[in-house]
Amino acid sequence: MNSFINKIIISALSVSLTSAFASIDPEMEGMEVVSRDDGTFLIGSPTFYFDRALGAGGIHSESELWTPRKLHHRLLFNRLSVLPSWNPIETPSIWMKTGNELGDLIYQDFLTESKERPINRTPILEGGFRTPLFHGLWATFRLFQDDHYCFYSARAYRMNQVDGSFSYFGENWPMFSSAYGGLGFTNDFVNASVLAGMEYIWIFTESSRWIPVQYKPRIEARADVGNFSTTFVYENAEYQNYRKKESGERKEVNGSIVYSCGENCQRGMLQLSAGLAFRFVDDDGVVYTGLANDRALWPFLEMRVRPSEQLKFDVMFGVNDRDWLVQDSVEYQIPVLEKMKITLGAKNMSGTRLNPIADTHEYFDGDTISLTANGKMNLLQAFVRFDDTLTNFIGFGLRGSFWAEHGAETFEADKYVKDGIYTFRHGDVSRINSWIKAVTGEFWVKLWYKDLLRFTALTGFERIDGKEKRFEVNPSEFFVSFNADWLIKKTFRISHSLRYRSDAEWNLRTNDPFVVKGDWYWDATFEQRFPKYGISLAGTIIQALGREMIETPNGEYSRIRFFCTAKKAF
Amino acid sequence: MKKFITILTLGLVSLLHAEDSFEFRNDSVAVKEDISFSHFSVFLEGGEIYPMGDLMDAVENALYGGIGVHYTYWDNVDGVVMFQYTYFKPRTDIYYDGVHQFMGRVGADWKWPVIRPVVLGAGFTCSWTRADAEQIHYEKRGGTLTDNETEFGWYARISLPVFKFKEYSAGFHVSWEQLWTLPKRSNMLYAGLTLERSIW
Repeated sequence: MNSFINKIIISALSVSLTSAFASIDPEMEGMEVVSRDDGTFLIGSPTFYFDRALGAGGIHSESELWTPRKLHHRLLFNRLSVLPSWNPIETPSIWMKTGNELGDLIYQDFLTESKERPINRTPILEGGFRTPLFHGLWATFRLFQDDHYCFYSARAYRMNQVDGSFSYFGENWPMFSSAYGGLGFTNDFVNASVLAGMEYIWIFTESSRWIPVQYKPRIEARADVGNFSTTFVYENAEYQNYRKKESGERKEVNGSIVYSCGENCQRGMLQLSAGLAFRFVDDDGVVYTGLANDRALWPFLEMRVRPSEQLKFDVMFGVNDRDWLVQDSVEYQIPVLEKMKITLGAKNMSGTRLNPIADTHEYFDGDTISLTANGKMNLLQAFVRFDDTLTNFIGFGLRGSFWAEHGAETFEADKYVKDGIYTFRHGDVSRINSWIKAVTGEFWVKLWYKDLLRFTALTGFERIDGKEKRFEVNPSEFFVSFNADWLIKKTFRISHSLRYRSDAEWNLRTNDPFVVKGDWYWDATFEQRFPKYGISLAGTIIQALGREMIETPNGEYSRIRFFCTAKKAF
Repeated sequence: MKKFITILTLGLVSLLHAEDSFEFRNDSVAVKEDISFSHFSVFLEGGEIYPMGDLMDAVENALYGGIGVHYTYWDNVDGVVMFQYTYFKPRTDIYYDGVHQFMGRVGADWKWPVIRPVVLGAGFTCSWTRADAEQIHYEKRGGTLTDNETEFGWYARISLPVFKFKEYSAGFHVSWEQLWTLPKRSNMLYAGLTLERSIW
């Protein structure tokens, strides 16, 4: 694996270490947030969710923020999303996945009046393969479609927006449907691939509209050579609103070129990486969004200074003709209390925009919504973390932090309009030019026994003080979760997660606040493993126990669902 | 602690690469101790399905048949995969004759020595249904089944082999199946015969 990607994963791990949760299989790559409640995770569809870990600092969600570790994420309007993932599966294998929301009628339909029928439940489907290497060459194919979060009365509304069908399969009008295939070449020095495909995606915008976009085709080429990683993408995106007889087309080239710190460099005190992310667009007709000057060039620099084992500084700095963004942090592990792993840290984030490569305008019924705000934001956070082991099977830890943010990005809504069941908004992206302050605390207990059991009980709270009615989302104030992974006889895995989060509230997408009530949820994965043959058969139930509810304005119901996965490695 | 962090790290890596989680193949002890597929057999089975509870008013009893495989998973536990077919006729006034139903099941059979030769089993089931209808009247009762409908559920099963000759065996089985339907869960009882041939 490329060293830059390695570094990205290590960075992600260090960020994620406090949020240990069970290894519940996600229904799709990028949908892990559905099984998380260690913060505020509100799902509107597979293509839009608010994802903010408690204690992350600031009031923005993670997917709103650009960082170098998201260079392979998809830019869906102004969010960076793993799904629909074009990351080639790394292990040569064949896999198939299918599932359904629970609650179809089947023979109950013979006993039920049509007006009393429950809403139709919808499936997911995924299949694909990656071949073994043949003289370094490999081929891959993947088809995946998630029909969850799509079937309520909004389905009828969306059907009128497009001409003909808008997915590979079925009549559920899923929020995304994707297929691609391609070739790659891998050896000790090079990892390269070219993938091509077509996909249907409903993108959620600042006005709260779902916009259908068909990528026809989308081509992505990647090459990691030595310490350089390059990605080039060509997209021909077709936009339409059949009801209004509008159509448009965007031809886009985007990607990145990155030089990352090599192995020798990583052993040194100073580690430097640098890169350039870019987008060039050419719009024709009605596209609904716009990028100023039809381009975004984003050079960035990453630096780590590690003068000792205990002390490290990390800095990321990016700048272009419109925006700048700095993310830096310092961590110090107190040496005299080494066994207790007490870490003091601080982080700072400043910039003119959370996502400097996103579009700058949205066009909505004659109105131009500015997606950039004057001024800058500044986020400061200080934290202390401690993680201790009481015996060789139990440990506990805590993390406390204080953060303050000035100039947080928000939306200044001028007016709301109703269209069918939907509420849309006019206005502009704006700032909260006053300080928002918060204290956070998390406490966890971990229990483990050989490779048979990993158990974590985790709880956290966050108290935020600021102009809360101007927050896009008031995050949950507390959560508690109990997570366990059992591995019986090294071949049968049971992972489950029982958790509760308190209420969250959307303030700015509807006239009145949209409250997402807190609840308990239970997820579980049961997996038969066959290590000798590289086979895995798994069944997963998601969102059990809790009430089925809509978690975002203009979103769809998050329902209990079950899916099964069969995989065979070559 | 280092081991725990390693395990935790592996867990997080598997989260970040949830679609690519074949790390278990790299556990040499697990590979060495893996006795799966040391025995493998195929079986035919058939019998009758008895709808239970509310479902007794919805559909008639139906015959079913199918194929399956047993494979060694642990010493006293076999994995099982089954595919079955049945055709349900409605009891109520439905505008078509019946419904095709295909069932797929994945589970495990436990050969508990205490009650041998009785075998206990359980697992997940998936039923795919489609009405035997030429016209679609979605608003009528049963109309949803004119499109493909699928529902998952679970099953529990007791098997009693009563006959064994060389690589062949035969016996009875009874299964309880629950599909996670709405507005109520759907329960059915299966009873039938199994004819099995050991392949290796």
